[in-house]
Amino acid sequence: MSVSRRDFIKRSAALTAASYVGMNLPISNVNVAKAVDVDTWVRGTCRLCGVGCRLEMGVKDGRPVALRGVPEARTNYGYLCMKGMLFYKLMRHPERLKKPLYREKKDQPFREISWDAALDLAAKGFAESVKKYGHDSVAYYGSGQCLTEESYLFQKVMRGGLQTNNVEGNPRLCMASAVGGYLTSFGADEPIGGYANVERSYCMFIIGSNMAEAHPVFYRRVMRRKLDNPDKVKIINADPRISPTSRIADMHLQFRPGTDMALMNAMAYVIIDENLYDEKFLRDYATFRVGKESKEVDMEAYKASLDEYTPEKAARLCGGNITAEDIRTAARWFATSQGTLSMWCMGINQRKQGVWANNLIHNLHILTGQLCKPGADSLSLTGQPNACGGVREGGGLCHILPGHRLVKKGKLRNQVEDAWGIPRGRIPPKPGYHTMAMFQAVNDKKIRAIWINCTSPAQSLPNVKPYREGMKSDDVFMVCTDIFPTKTTECANLILPAAFHFEKTGVYGCTERRSQITPKAVDAPGDAMPEVWIVREWALKLAKELNDPVIAQCVAPFVGKEPDYELPEAIWDEYTQKLTKHRDNDLRGATYDVLKSMADGVQWPAPTKEFALTGGTVMKFVRGSDPMADSEAKDDKPYQFYGPAHPDKKLWIWLRPYVGAAEEPDGEYPLYLSTGRIIDHWHTTSMTGRVPELLRANPYSFVEINPKDAKKMGVRPGDMVEIESRRGKVEMPAKVVEGPMEGMVFAYWHDMHEDRMINKVCNDAYDPGSKEPEFKICSCRVRRISGPKALTPYITQLNG
Amino acid sequence: MPIGGFIVNAQPEFVSDVAGQLNLIDDVEVHGFDESGNIVAVIDSVTSDVMEAQVKKIEALEPVLTVGVAYLHAEDEIEKIESGELVIDNPFGRKKKN
Repeated sequence: MSVSRRDFIKRSAALTAASYVGMNLPISNVNVAKAVDVDTWVRGTCRLCGVGCRLEMGVKDGRPVALRGVPEARTNYGYLCMKGMLFYKLMRHPERLKKPLYREKKDQPFREISWDAALDLAAKGFAESVKKYGHDSVAYYGSGQCLTEESYLFQKVMRGGLQTNNVEGNPRLCMASAVGGYLTSFGADEPIGGYANVERSYCMFIIGSNMAEAHPVFYRRVMRRKLDNPDKVKIINADPRISPTSRIADMHLQFRPGTDMALMNAMAYVIIDENLYDEKFLRDYATFRVGKESKEVDMEAYKASLDEYTPEKAARLCGGNITAEDIRTAARWFATSQGTLSMWCMGINQRKQGVWANNLIHNLHILTGQLCKPGADSLSLTGQPNACGGVREGGGLCHILPGHRLVKKGKLRNQVEDAWGIPRGRIPPKPGYHTMAMFQAVNDKKIRAIWINCTSPAQSLPNVKPYREGMKSDDVFMVCTDIFPTKTTECANLILPAAFHFEKTGVYGCTERRSQITPKAVDAPGDAMPEVWIVREWALKLAKELNDPVIAQCVAPFVGKEPDYELPEAIWDEYTQKLTKHRDNDLRGATYDVLKSMADGVQWPAPTKEFALTGGTVMKFVRGSDPMADSEAKDDKPYQFYGPAHPDKKLWIWLRPYVGAAEEPDGEYPLYLSTGRIIDHWHTTSMTGRVPELLRANPYSFVEINPKDAKKMGVRPGDMVEIESRRGKVEMPAKVVEGPMEGMVFAYWHDMHEDRMINKVCNDAYDPGSKEPEFKICSCRVRRISGPKALTPYITQLNG
Repeated sequence: MPIGGFIVNAQPEFVSDVAGQLNLIDDVEVHGFDESGNIVAVIDSVTSDVMEAQVKKIEALEPVLTVGVAYLHAEDEIEKIESGELVIDNPFGRKKKN
């Protein structure tokens, strides 16, 4: 490259960055455009968290050569993080899976086979299980990283073809409690508003989320809002751990793990005690509910339920640095700001009482009328790019069908069967196994064939060891589709190489009800194929094996279509036109053509193309913003809560007492253990661990220990410590830091190494409603085992 | 040899100091900053490995709140990976076949 061309590219880089912040640079832009001579820029979505940042990949001679943000995109306004910027390295990575691989027994090495042979084996494996052990002996376990078209087609074949609702996905491990919270509080899943509220908010309540590391680009907006309005905007960060997110907070409420439920009830107490609630909003839009039967009670009963949560009592219960006055101040800021926005993530969801904790956040918003107006929202952040779009909306969990339909409702099952053109009664009425039950069923040999797509439960499940033993058994035939070897492919019989992002076409739906398309830009390496092709071909073979034409009928509309664009488009069309029609996630207007024309996709509901082309619904339930607020209106009020789960079309304030964690510290295991992400890594590091730049930044997990606890234990920075719970133990280096509160340790969970895999220690107790496990809290003990030790990063390799 | 365009966000009261500190980091050029705490910087490094290391140095500066990326050009590096001139690191100690 000539010096002048490098100089032009550097100018281009500087001018692009400057344009995002409206800065005029004293450099010329002459010839800058020519310097970046890509053949084409392909616009898509980042896949390394749930924010949905839009980016463009520059392609030259069929190879990715450059990346840039999309400044017009309302998700990220052009900004990206380093993790997102480096994902292109995975497209040409030497360890990509390129050929189908098979072994009959799991102690044998894999050998390469043809696609035809691989799909035969997959069909025979599932068919034999069905013939021998019945329909519910087979299962699909997918991911919030699959494209919507993939999740939809897999569940269609499983339910309509194989007649089982054993359809699950890893969003059960991260977002199920948020789903339960939205359904029980608002009557409809997914947030009312979205990111646009950040710039209009005057109080932000961030609880159970380290968004600075887990959602860095979105966090930038929160930070910008605060820095640009230092006196007008208040930020409350509530978390047992001080994290990088806390740096912009006006108030950090550090509570004992699990006691946030008492904290939020105490905030509600103050709001009522000081008459800070919105009486008209409550009268028009809310009722009070209690118990399993959702019994309606009056406000007096709600008030009485809060008697136990005076600020003084709650402060004592919460411990940490919290005072009664802090609780009062937080409640006043929350209730009286012009617009309050709550944001949370796994700290709330991954809990034995995750749904209740979600309800308590929503309670504060309903009480104060901090909903449906600019800057006000109760926004659950998501960790994966398509947990909302593919799994929550597309029918990717055992109890839901596409379009937010419940399996157990016969009328809704029939709607789906009719849309698919299959006989009524084909979809069984009983929901399938939820995630933890599914892997227990593998252990119990009730599931004999399982397909795991784009996720790694052999590392990501809590208390992972016994479940991994089950997966390794030769009693279960396991198929994995993935782009790299993982701890789960180590348990497989058959590994099918999948095309990666930008190597296939499809739609992701991010946190804020926004669907965005990513078209194919480059070819997948070797023989890797899009999953939609894999499912279609498998289903056709399965139909022959089981002599069941209904299975073939499930994919008949898609036969003959080329896999890169026509096939996913046909699947998307079927899903959106037939199955979201008149549902609350109506996406009929968001066709591929419309999505391609938009910088940042479409927010549902978007029933028509004309409306979708405006960007869709910014604020759900609000007349003038949401077309369904008019079409589903029951009266002339400005807000219409038409969600399918509340027959009274009201918001529900729940009476929810504080309940502690499933496992609290005791004499034997005296510390709380919590786990979480670090900025450079994502999930199980099967991707980010293969980007050396990211791996080197954090080559292995470590555990944060409060300096006071470290002193008691005799642990110094870098010492190796053992973390042990009732389920298992691991070893990792200690980081002595004022992060976790005293009495608590915090470990990063990404490490694949057997000695450091923290999920061996975590608790698999789960929420009775959402079935989401309590990754975030368990009890443990920690002891120093040695001084600092040289450790080797570890990423699993094929055959070994 | 990747080139990246970055927006570094510092606490506004320290933006001038941070811009000065950024200029002292190898491969980093500061192109401008404003009173809101935005700093526009370009990193032109030998490999993206080095670029990540420089980003880590920036993130470690106390008044720095976030580091955002707007643009990355990596054509040279991809060409070298494909031609075999640059081998993606294998930090796992796995023996490679010659």
